[in-house]
Amino acid sequence: MLLSRYQLVRRSSASRRVAILAPITALLVTIVLNFVLYIAMGKAPAAVFYAMLVEPVVSWSSFSEVLLKMTPLLLIAQGLAIGFRANVINIGAEGQFILGAIFAASIPVWVPQATGGWIWPAMLLLGGIGGALWAVVPAFWRVRLNASEILVTLMMSLIATQLLAYLLVGPWKDPMGFNFPQSVMFQLDATLPLIIPGTRVNVALILALVWTLGCWVYMQRSFQGYKLIVGGLAPHATAYAGFSEGRAVWISLLIGGFAAGLAGAAEVAGPIGQLQRSVASGYGYSAIIVAYLGGLNPIGILFSSLLIAILYIGGDNAMVSTELPIAAVRVFQGSLLVCYLAAITLVRYRIVRVVTTEARA
Amino acid sequence: MTSPMNRRSFLRSTAAAGLAAGLAPSLAFAQDAPLGITLVLPSPLGDVGWGRALADGLEPVKAAYGDKVKVTILENIMEGPDADRIMTKSVADGNKFLVAGSFGYQNGALQIARRNADVSVLHASGFMVAPNFTPFAAKNFEGTYLLGMAAAAVSKTGKLGSVSAFAIPELITSINAFAMGAQAINPAAEVAVVWVNSWFDPAKEQEAAKALIAQGCDVIFSNAQDTPSVVDVCEKSGAYVCNLNSSMKAYAATKYLGCAATDWSPFFLEAVNAHFDGSFKGHNAFLGTADKVEKVIDWSADIPADAMEKIKAKEAGIISGEAPVFAGPISRQDGSEGVAAGAALKDEEIVAMDWHVEGVTTPLPN
Repeated sequence: MLLSRYQLVRRSSASRRVAILAPITALLVTIVLNFVLYIAMGKAPAAVFYAMLVEPVVSWSSFSEVLLKMTPLLLIAQGLAIGFRANVINIGAEGQFILGAIFAASIPVWVPQATGGWIWPAMLLLGGIGGALWAVVPAFWRVRLNASEILVTLMMSLIATQLLAYLLVGPWKDPMGFNFPQSVMFQLDATLPLIIPGTRVNVALILALVWTLGCWVYMQRSFQGYKLIVGGLAPHATAYAGFSEGRAVWISLLIGGFAAGLAGAAEVAGPIGQLQRSVASGYGYSAIIVAYLGGLNPIGILFSSLLIAILYIGGDNAMVSTELPIAAVRVFQGSLLVCYLAAITLVRYRIVRVVTTEARA
Repeated sequence: MTSPMNRRSFLRSTAAAGLAAGLAPSLAFAQDAPLGITLVLPSPLGDVGWGRALADGLEPVKAAYGDKVKVTILENIMEGPDADRIMTKSVADGNKFLVAGSFGYQNGALQIARRNADVSVLHASGFMVAPNFTPFAAKNFEGTYLLGMAAAAVSKTGKLGSVSAFAIPELITSINAFAMGAQAINPAAEVAVVWVNSWFDPAKEQEAAKALIAQGCDVIFSNAQDTPSVVDVCEKSGAYVCNLNSSMKAYAATKYLGCAATDWSPFFLEAVNAHFDGSFKGHNAFLGTADKVEKVIDWSADIPADAMEKIKAKEAGIISGEAPVFAGPISRQDGSEGVAAGAALKDEEIVAMDWHVEGVTTPLPN
C-alpha cells in the first residue's frame, strides 16, 4: 500500500533572502487577514493599521512609550534566554518580577522620609536580589530533589501574586489610602531618573541595553556561556566532559531571577511609583514569547522586544484613536505571532512529500 | 498645575506641554467639532455590571447632544502605567471629557486633569478633588440596606452571605448596610463575607458563592461583580441572590431578590452640561437615592407584603433624609460603640469607613 504524507525536513542552510522575506511575508499575510476583519466590522483599515503599526514609530510620544514598554521585556527575556539555551525552562519570571518589585518597594515603604541619591540604585539592586532569591527555591528543588523547574517556577509565581496581595491589603497598605490595596506613593528619590526629558523613559532602558551587551558577551564569548549552550544541546556529552548540570541550573535560574527582579524594581520605581496590584501585569510571561521570537539570541531579543512593545502600544493606540475593540486588537497581535512563527518554521524547514510503501497488519 | 507631587509628575507635565505644542497644528479642530467623551473601564464591557451601568449612563448624554458629542468606550484597561498612557493618548487626540471608571486610575487621571485645564475629568470611587476633577461614587449602602431587609424576610436560616471584591470602604459600607437592614427585620441575622480580592474573577467568585451556600447561607449578596457569576450559582443552588449596579434578573428567573441599581445618567448629563457652558467644577459627588442615582429595582415577588411595606417606608425615609442608614446606635463587630445613639455618620466618615458592624461575622482582612 502506498502512503503519502507531508513532513518537515530541516534545511541544511537557511537562505538569507528567505530569512529576510519571512517576517515581511508574515506581516503582509496578517495585514490581509485583518483587513478583511476590519472591513467586516465597518472600520477603516488604513486608519487602524496606521494607529497600530506606523504611529508608535513615527510619533515621538508613542515611540517613547514603546521604549518604556520594551525595557522590562528586554531585561527579562535576556535573562530567560540564557536558561532556555541551557535547557533550564524558567517560566516563573512573573513571580521573580513581583518579588523584585516587593524588595525594591521595601525602602520607600519602611523609610518614606529618606532622601539621597543612593535610594533608587539600592532599590534596583534589592529588586534583583529579591528576584534571584525567589529563583533559589526552584533551583534547589531541581538540583537536590530533581523537581521540574517548569512546575516549581510557575507555582512560585502564584505564591508571589498572593504575597503581593497580602502585603497590599495588610502590612504595606497606605495608612492614608482609604483601605485601597496599594502602598504609599514613593518619595522623589525612590523613583528612577528620567533620561529623555518629556517622556517616561528612565535609566532602566540604559541598564537593559548594558545588560543585553553583557548577555551577548557572556553567551557568545565566555567559556561558561559555551558550557551552558552545550549543556542544553547535549546534556550527556557535557556530563561526560565534566561540566556540572547542577551548576548550569543554578546559574540559569539565578541570572533569570535577577533580571526579572531588576525589571520589577524598575517598574515600581519607574512608571508606577508605588506598589500596587497592577505590578503583576504579565511582563514575565510576555518575555517568554520575546525570548523565543528573538531566537534566544541577545541581538535577536533586542529586536523582538522592540517589536512586541510596538504591537502593545499600537494596539492601545488603535483602541483609543479608531475605537477598535480590545478583542480585535488581540486578534491582530495573535495572528501576527502565528504568521511569524509559521514563516520562521518555513525558513528553517521545508515541506517534503514523503511516499512510502507500507504493509498494514 | 499647583504643587507637583514629585519629580516625575513635574517632568511629565513639562513633557505634556512640549507634546501639546508639537501636536498643536493637528489638533486645530473646527469650532463645531463634537465633544470627545472617553469612558475607560477596568474590565470587559458586558451586558451587566459596573461597566455596563457606566456605559448606559452615557446613553442619555448621547440622546441629548446627538452629534455634538462622540463617546468612545475603552474596556479592559489595566490600572497602572498602561491606563495612564491610554488616557493621556485619548486626551492628546482631542477628547476633552474623561470618565475614569476605576479607583486605580486616580493618579494618572489626576495628572491629566492638572496638565489640561480644558479637560473635565470624572473619576469613579476616588477621594482626590481638583478644579476640573470630580470623584464620584454611588451611595450603594442605601440600596443594600433595603436589600438586607428583604434578605432577612425571605431567609429561613438567618444566615446571609456576601461575595465581595475588595475590602475598600465603598464595599465595606455596602455589607454593613446589608447587615443592618437584615437586623431591622430579624435582629439575629448574620452576614458572612468572602473577599475575592479581584474586580473580575468569575471562577473565584463562583467558588466563593458555593462556599457560602455550603455554610448555610440562603441569601447571597453579590458585592461588585461584573458578571452573573454569583447570581448563576445561587439560582442553581436555590439560594436567593441580589447584586449591585445593573439588574441580573435575566440570569436568575426564580431566585432574584433585587438589584441596588445605579443610574449614572442624571449625574453624567449634569456634568456634560456643565462642561459645555464652562461651569464644570470639581467636587466630591456622593450620589444616593435622593439624587435618583441609586435605586433598588426588580424586587422579588417572594418578599412578604408586610416586609415590603417596611422597606418602602425606609426608602421614603432615606430619600427625605429623616432615616439615614448609618444612624446610631451602631455597634462595631467587636461589640464596642461605633456610632452613638442620636448621632449619624457624615458623608466623609462613610467614605472612609474601615470597620464592620455587629452581625458581620467575618473579620476584615488586615
